[in-house]
Amino acid sequence: MGEIDLSVDLGRGLRLRSPVMVASGTFAYGFDAPAVDRTGLGAVVTKGTTLRPRHGNPPVRIAETPSGMLNAIGLQNPGVDHVVQAFAPVWARWDLPVIVNVAGDAVEDYVAIARRLDGVPGIAGLELNISCPNVEAGLQFGVDARLAGRLTQAVRQATSLPLMVKLTPNVTDLVAIARAIADAGADSLSAINTLVGMKIDVRHRRPVLENQVGGLSGPAIRPLAVRAVWEVASAVSIPVVGVGGIMTTEDALEFLLAGASAVQVGTANYVRPQAAREIRDGIATHLTEHGWSSLAALPLRAPAHV
Amino acid sequence: MIATLQAARVLERSTPMGGGVELICETPLAADVHPGQFFQVAVESPGALLRRPYSAAWTDPTRGLVGFVFNVVGAGSDWLAARNAGDRIDLLGPLGRGFAIDGGRPAVCVAGGLGIAVFIGLSNALTGRGRSTTILYGARSADQLLPAARFPKTRMQLATDDGSAGHHGRVTALLSNAIVGDADIFACGPTPMLVELVRWAQRADVRLARIQVAHETPMGCGVGTCLGCALPRAGGGYMLTCQDGPCISADLVEWTRVVDAFHG
Repeated sequence: MGEIDLSVDLGRGLRLRSPVMVASGTFAYGFDAPAVDRTGLGAVVTKGTTLRPRHGNPPVRIAETPSGMLNAIGLQNPGVDHVVQAFAPVWARWDLPVIVNVAGDAVEDYVAIARRLDGVPGIAGLELNISCPNVEAGLQFGVDARLAGRLTQAVRQATSLPLMVKLTPNVTDLVAIARAIADAGADSLSAINTLVGMKIDVRHRRPVLENQVGGLSGPAIRPLAVRAVWEVASAVSIPVVGVGGIMTTEDALEFLLAGASAVQVGTANYVRPQAAREIRDGIATHLTEHGWSSLAALPLRAPAHV
Repeated sequence: MIATLQAARVLERSTPMGGGVELICETPLAADVHPGQFFQVAVESPGALLRRPYSAAWTDPTRGLVGFVFNVVGAGSDWLAARNAGDRIDLLGPLGRGFAIDGGRPAVCVAGGLGIAVFIGLSNALTGRGRSTTILYGARSADQLLPAARFPKTRMQLATDDGSAGHHGRVTALLSNAIVGDADIFACGPTPMLVELVRWAQRADVRLARIQVAHETPMGCGVGTCLGCALPRAGGGYMLTCQDGPCISADLVEWTRVVDAFHG
């Protein structure tokens, strides 16, 4: 039995030792999670980071729902300057890629953040959160192929860092948006961000979340995410990273079989802080049991026709 | 403080009062717990996804025991209340900041409902330091009161909503007579009770820095990564209940912006 190669190439020099990353917003900036062996992770994707610090939304910010959770944190984060000054120097000493998730209200915000992070030691890449409302256009960047493409192109020109763009599922034609982003120069896509959901406290006749609506994550969204990855991966030539409700090795394998090159584990981190490491080990075991030496051996078998 | 993931063995389940469940668990983590700290308990039920935060009601470090006292309010507590002796539960903790218990001033604990749980351990720590300890304890009715025998060496004053024991009314009505001089105040209970305590302190000219509250709110991670358990900070912005609390000095909180996360 040879050595199992779990490495993944996400383009522009972003190479991961493991295909299992931790998803944005579920691991903060990589410092707080307890009882976690960081060296077992493919990468840390940070909390969404904006140009200026943000306090976030008033509580109640989270609510559990069937097989999932809603969150409306409101992008609470210390701002890009703090990330560069306080966090990046620590990351530079880690033997682990850190991908900064970037959020903004306008193209100029994203561009300014990308410039600020370009060339900073300790930062391995960017993931664009395009589920934020574009103040100018009055809708989210990620719901419109033209807006999403323009944003990607502007950020591409502002940085030499590997660029991953996170697709929002709250759209009518995900493939058209994915193609526009790929054509605009993204190195990889991650799919999917949360779905907008709502929970109502029937006894008190009001929304549970102070923000009224929030992003749904967890196993509840996994089938949607697998379908999205399958559609997108067959339509673009850049790597697709699967994310959405992965709790177990088998869940991660679903995404890899659907065409994902790597995966991100999110909500599961709250339940099992070691989830990403366990899933990585589970994937290695799966490959070993089948006598495969790398992830390239995971093709989706076409349905049998009888 | 290092939070640890560990399986704990349930030694005993009992019903110490009406509507309350007590689980005694065996875990080496017991030795690391400071009064007021909590554990994130994994719930292995199809109806629940996230861990649930439970304060350690008391610990016995030499025997390696942690007690949890709670009531059934949803899928998580329903599952936990069904654990039997010999079952294993998965704990992450101890987490958060406990109560600051040093000093020699008299202590007054203000408990509402299941908020009493944390005072089993806290009053033991306070009296063990030789501090004079009074517990003001409110519940719906006499049958829902945790027996006073669980709080040796303390003075206890009761209040019930139906008047079946002690003062007929809210526990906060006992504050003015019970709190004299320079007592330190420790409070745990429903958010409206904490807000009423703060309002009383402002009226009575009691400095909020003398009050520590244990804040209860839904949590995602319990370790500062999800930012879900925000608590408004005096002067703007938010603290995290799981990191800056759950036990926190009342003067650090912007009480006008505190909402009852459990909506009643």
